[in-house]
Amino acid sequence: MLKITGALAAVTLLATTALAGATEATLWVRTSSAAVLEGLAERYNAARPDKVTVTAITAEQMVPKLGAALAGGTPPDGAVLDLIYLPTFAANEGLEDITDFVKSRPYAEAMSPSHIRLATYEDRIYGVPALPDASIIAYNTDLFEKAGLDPAKAPASLNEIAESAKKIAALGNETYGFYFVANSGSWLIYDFLPHLWAADADILSEDGREATVDTPAMRETIAAYRDMWKAGAIHPTSRSGNGNNAVEAFASGKVGILMTGSYIVNLLDSKYPDVKFQVAPIPGPTGGASSFAGGDTLALMAGVDEEKKRVLLDFVDFYMEPENQVYATKESGMPARTDLAKEAYASFDPRNLVAYDVLAQAHTPYTFASDELFVSRTGPFVNLIQGAIFGEDVDGAIATAQGEFTRILERTNP
Amino acid sequence: MTITAERSIRPERVARGADTQGEPQGWLGLAFILPSLLFILLLFLIPLAMTVWMSFHHWPLLGRIRFAGLANYAELIEDVQFWRALGFTALYTVLVTAAIMAVALPLALLVDRPLRAAGFFRTIYFMPVVIGFGAASTLWMWLLNPDSGVFAQLLRGIGLIDSAPRPLESFWPALGVIILMVVWKTAGFTMVILLTGLQSIPDDLTEAARIDGAGPWARFRRITLPLMRNSILLALVLNVTSSMLAFDQFFIITQGGPSNSTISAVFSIYLASFSSYRLGYGAAMSFALLVVLVAISSIQLTFMRRRPEDG
Repeated sequence: MLKITGALAAVTLLATTALAGATEATLWVRTSSAAVLEGLAERYNAARPDKVTVTAITAEQMVPKLGAALAGGTPPDGAVLDLIYLPTFAANEGLEDITDFVKSRPYAEAMSPSHIRLATYEDRIYGVPALPDASIIAYNTDLFEKAGLDPAKAPASLNEIAESAKKIAALGNETYGFYFVANSGSWLIYDFLPHLWAADADILSEDGREATVDTPAMRETIAAYRDMWKAGAIHPTSRSGNGNNAVEAFASGKVGILMTGSYIVNLLDSKYPDVKFQVAPIPGPTGGASSFAGGDTLALMAGVDEEKKRVLLDFVDFYMEPENQVYATKESGMPARTDLAKEAYASFDPRNLVAYDVLAQAHTPYTFASDELFVSRTGPFVNLIQGAIFGEDVDGAIATAQGEFTRILERTNP
Repeated sequence: MTITAERSIRPERVARGADTQGEPQGWLGLAFILPSLLFILLLFLIPLAMTVWMSFHHWPLLGRIRFAGLANYAELIEDVQFWRALGFTALYTVLVTAAIMAVALPLALLVDRPLRAAGFFRTIYFMPVVIGFGAASTLWMWLLNPDSGVFAQLLRGIGLIDSAPRPLESFWPALGVIILMVVWKTAGFTMVILLTGLQSIPDDLTEAARIDGAGPWARFRRITLPLMRNSILLALVLNVTSSMLAFDQFFIITQGGPSNSTISAVFSIYLASFSSYRLGYGAAMSFALLVVLVAISSIQLTFMRRRPEDG
């Protein structure tokens, strides 16, 4: 009898280990990050007994699909999300608390602070950085030289950018000094908000519950942009552009300064190796520098199965290993750890380091209504920029935005 | 005279049929309509009931669902953005329907000829209809692109303009290019509807008019137009309904801009549901739009029910 029980126990143990060995965890990823994460998952599946399956979801569909899946009780085990959505999902009890895991990591100190801040809700942590990026400016050094500017010295303030842009536009022949994508909320938060942060101002309060649209920094920033627009120094497609042509316009050598992101370095290197350019952090109206910490955060769905949780957290440990960070950097431009510059960038363009260095002081708006406030093309933020920079009534545009922001926040604050 | 004669015969025939085959079998008729009944039930009535149910709730995409009573409808009445969107949709519907009819009627008259080439042109004009609205909008978004779009290159190439046109930056030009695109996309379909009306006019009527000395304009006005009445009305009903539901072209090409001036009714439902994630409020908007649409359609259908000879 004892024997039988022992044998049974052995069989059960075998079965569970075999099952555990085959544990498969699913991960939803937005399309733009799918290639890198599929690569990392492949490496993981080859190296470990468990399996991570990556499913690509169109970026704009991620929130509705994940929301519907959570409501329907069939969410994936984890998701790699745009970090800006973390507060929304965390506040609605959609994510698994992984505070202890995050705090006990040997690399805990080396995770992008803005990613951790966005993943924190009521002192609990719900995510870890996966693929960060940071917004920067890129400028064409050839055009700087032609316009009599020093290509070794990046513009240190927005006012300097405006002066340089006007000089470059004066070269004529359809050359423009400045390009920013003004008709897309996700581009604008990425490239416009850092001007405010560099001046120690912000559009939302620290906890994301109140709007602070009307600040001196906002007015100075808008004034500088209006100045450039009036002078004809801004590329005309900026106004209605959604980003489709931005990199091409810069690569054509007809744009002096482009508001862009860290990925630009590797992109230009591989697709347009002839463009002579330099990159720099985004300055405030009269000085300072900041950046938007963007990219993806990995989070687990609330109530995830313990075994699958173990696999996904093991996957996090795996991709945080230095050699996999090097791989991720090669594929997407920036490592998730801020302590691996030497390893990660050893064989890459050193201009990548500019964005990497700024990541530690980069911001991201902490908000529960990202889509409605910022991303939506019909939302108050896009309308503020369109109205205040290209329109006639700056005061009116600012007042309308403050009112709309407040109305939306009152409804969406948890 | 002949008509009255036939009418008097008909009941007799029916009665005789009933005698030989017994009672008409009701269940057989039900079986025949069952598939479409099921479709209507599954794809229309149940979703409609769910929409109404949702519209009485605060229904966020994430988080708890709470009963709200009529709060969504109360908010809707004061929602300036929604009424503005309905007003814009009405304006768009009037303009685009007029434009489509103005293009489709001449096209129908042109291809209504017993020539071999007419079939070829019918196909050409009909071709854009088979493209989906989303695909057509994406296509036009790129055609309109000021930097690499075909229109800008073409107009600059022939020296008509110096700098690329940017119609999407102000209201009327933006609405204009949308109407242009929709006419290109749908005029062919309206043309086919009108063509069936044209071809149902007996040749001897036109011939008789010609013998009586009626000129082409008089024949068109006194014979063609009145006899096409029903197909014109059908084309109107279909165009008005689809224009009131317009979404893709505004979502993809103008993206609601400039400054939210081209947000159609369905677009505002989309924004409430998938930008603000307020599914309950979106449901209330959908229901309000349904009421408006049913009202418009029933007015149009009353016109249609009147026989041409009564008018």
